[in-house]
Amino acid sequence: MKPSSSLSRLLEITVISGENLQENRKQPVKNNAFVNIKTDNSSCNVQTTQMDKEGGSFPAWNEKLIVDLPMHARHLTVEVQCKNSSGIKTVGIARVPTSDFLDGFLPENYLHFLSYRLRDEKGEKNGIINFSVRVKNAPPQTAGCAAAYSRQWMAAPVAMGSKNGSCGVVTGIPVYPGSY
Amino acid sequence: MGNCFSDVAGGQSAVGGTGINHGNQANAPNEAVDAFLNSRGYQGLYNQIEALDFSLSLFEWFAEVLVVDGAVVAMEKKGAKEGAREGVGWLVVWRDRRSLELRLWCSADLVLLCFVTDFAGDGGGDCGGGLVGECSGSPVGHHWWLCFVTDFAGDCGGGLVELEFLDEASSLLVLNMSDPMTVLYSKEKDGSLKELSRTEVVLNSLNPKWITKYTMAYYFETVQNLVFRVYDIDTQFHNQDVKMLKLEEQDFLGEASCTLAQIVTKSDRSLTVDLVCGEQSSGQAHAQKFGKLTVFAEESISSKTTVELRLRCSELESKDLFSKSDPFLVVSKTTEGGIVVPICKTEVIKNDHSPIWKPVFLNIQQIGNWRLTVFLLIVRKIQKSLLDLEKLHSAGIGANFFVPTAVGPKQESKVLKSQLFVESYSEKIQYTFLDYLASGYELNFMVAIDFTASNGNPRLPDSLHYIDPSGRPNAYQRAILDVGEVLQFYDTDKRFPAWGFGARPIDGPVSHCFNLNGSSSYCEVEGIQGIMMAYMSALHNVSLAGPTLFGPVITSAAHIASQSLTNNERKYFILLIITDGVITDLQETKDALVQAADLPLSILIVGVGGADFKEMEILDADKGERLESTTGRVAVRDIVQFVPLRDVQNGDVSVVRSLLAELPSQLLEYMRFRKIQPTF
Repeated sequence: MKPSSSLSRLLEITVISGENLQENRKQPVKNNAFVNIKTDNSSCNVQTTQMDKEGGSFPAWNEKLIVDLPMHARHLTVEVQCKNSSGIKTVGIARVPTSDFLDGFLPENYLHFLSYRLRDEKGEKNGIINFSVRVKNAPPQTAGCAAAYSRQWMAAPVAMGSKNGSCGVVTGIPVYPGSY
Repeated sequence: MGNCFSDVAGGQSAVGGTGINHGNQANAPNEAVDAFLNSRGYQGLYNQIEALDFSLSLFEWFAEVLVVDGAVVAMEKKGAKEGAREGVGWLVVWRDRRSLELRLWCSADLVLLCFVTDFAGDGGGDCGGGLVGECSGSPVGHHWWLCFVTDFAGDCGGGLVELEFLDEASSLLVLNMSDPMTVLYSKEKDGSLKELSRTEVVLNSLNPKWITKYTMAYYFETVQNLVFRVYDIDTQFHNQDVKMLKLEEQDFLGEASCTLAQIVTKSDRSLTVDLVCGEQSSGQAHAQKFGKLTVFAEESISSKTTVELRLRCSELESKDLFSKSDPFLVVSKTTEGGIVVPICKTEVIKNDHSPIWKPVFLNIQQIGNWRLTVFLLIVRKIQKSLLDLEKLHSAGIGANFFVPTAVGPKQESKVLKSQLFVESYSEKIQYTFLDYLASGYELNFMVAIDFTASNGNPRLPDSLHYIDPSGRPNAYQRAILDVGEVLQFYDTDKRFPAWGFGARPIDGPVSHCFNLNGSSSYCEVEGIQGIMMAYMSALHNVSLAGPTLFGPVITSAAHIASQSLTNNERKYFILLIITDGVITDLQETKDALVQAADLPLSILIVGVGGADFKEMEILDADKGERLESTTGRVAVRDIVQFVPLRDVQNGDVSVVRSLLAELPSQLLEYMRFRKIQPTF
């Protein structure tokens, strides 16, 4: 069995809708809002939704994104931007602590519905973002490691005095699932 | 305007639930619009109540005697069905055609048999006594009475079977059995019975299945007590209409009672109760049992069908649009009397001459056969029936708006260019609250009581915690009873977590979440009585302190709910917090609530005493904004309801009970949001 990559968790995030998004603080957003989801501060590894062309300041996306969340990540960054004639503008950002959906009291694959306050670059409140998160693959449990991953290691027969005449020793490196 | 929804989630939640849902603030009712509509006499429509049918069937295990020309007579159990008692066997031995020996064997808790014969021929019964009755003389031509009683006195209220032996060779008897009819009553708060319905009379049957159904409304927030009385209708009345029958003239066979909640929480919606004899029966140690009554309830299907309509308009003339207003539609129904009742409205779309609105949802049962009127800005209207709208949709054409001119005898209407199109029309069935109950969902009641010092010394009569020796419940007890009495029927194990907060248990520091039962390991008590007893003993065992913090009890309740989800249980939790004061940790409470909002949990906060609860209203999102935690997380649902309990003595309709009315909607909102369907 191929061990799953336990360097990250796979999250299924459904970006649902936004509420009360303002542009320039006074005017409501007209249209073309979209959402970026980042798992770290760099710009690589960003997932983006489609633009909601009609939604205005209450856009609805209902779009599913699969996000790779590294094990060490403490936050998910949800950024709402909109595109208008003068370019792309950031409407607001929410930093979602991963502990809000990885809290351990609920089942691992629980469908968490979350809503966050968005704040613009100046730190002012600018609307709310609604989305849901479900962890698609739970990392292997350390307690059950031995039981769950027990398998037989087959030793490869060492070729000795074969017809080909060559003979040698192969060194095998045991692989323990779940440990890196 | 009640129950009018312009958002998809709100509209859907209105079907099959009760009460008003203001979950989405963006689509909250517009006060100006409401005031306008109210001033024109359009009242809101409140009717999300499901209707139920009943059919009753009586199970009994009376006997039919087969007489065989010979010495042995076999007596068989008649009508043995599920629910009838097993383990009764009889043997009647007819010796020499002169005497009958009745032998029976049965298990210890069953009704015993006594044998009464009338060999004297005087029409009366002679009690045989004992298990076996012997008699002498020929049984032919005499009436034999068999009766079933629970003691040997031999007198009972009903269930008499009369046998007539025709002659020695005959192999069949004429059995004259009961002709039962059931009367259904509702038991009012003062204990009086109000008759609701009567079934038909089933002739000659000890296991009747009645056909007559009764439709009644189900109110989640009240305890609906039902009483069933079965009567044997005398032959002379058989041709009369059942409604005309005088019950005093009939033979009373037995009575059963239950609550409506007990019936609907069963997975097969059918409850079997024992029929007992004796009107003032509660004093008797042994109620005589006369069979069982099975009640079956069914939800009316039509209340579950919703129609989803997407409407669009074309060519709205700008000169008619007020410069500040933006178009929206109101869908109303018009009765024959011309009264217009609004059903729902779309959202407001700004500045659009060909607006397409989000879908609206209509409940078929609300509409019935009435015509629907679609108002645009109340100036123009279109009148169609639901069927016409369906046709408009399939034909893809529009219907013109017109302006009614109210002047003059001729009510002419000016037809306008703008038209209404039905973009989509679809019907679908929505699951209701009762469906989730039938699939096994339970409501778990939890309670947290404020023991802060502001309540006053419990020994003094002016304290909110004073236990009145006359038995009159104090404010805390009143709130527990109001909520607990309704919710207990929806919880199968009747074990309720109960906590106190704001006090110092014996020799300990102040605790903001201690188990009311005094235990350090588990928090549950048994039944409402258990809560009352734990509350009273806690009053003696803790010293009131403070401050008033809700965070810890909310977090405890949230843990229980999370644990239940991890165990894949079908439970929805309801936490009742009773407090006398304003909370000290408003932000921490908000944080705990935001965390808990995504769980199957609802919180009812009842304020007792005279404090100013203005701050508490912030927690109830109906009256304010969505709750926000310190980390910027916002509550996904509004799970809190708050009500101040000002007048404990007053009123039949409890304020707290009106909060309960919203609970089915909250459960439905949680389920529908997550697309959890009831599995049967």
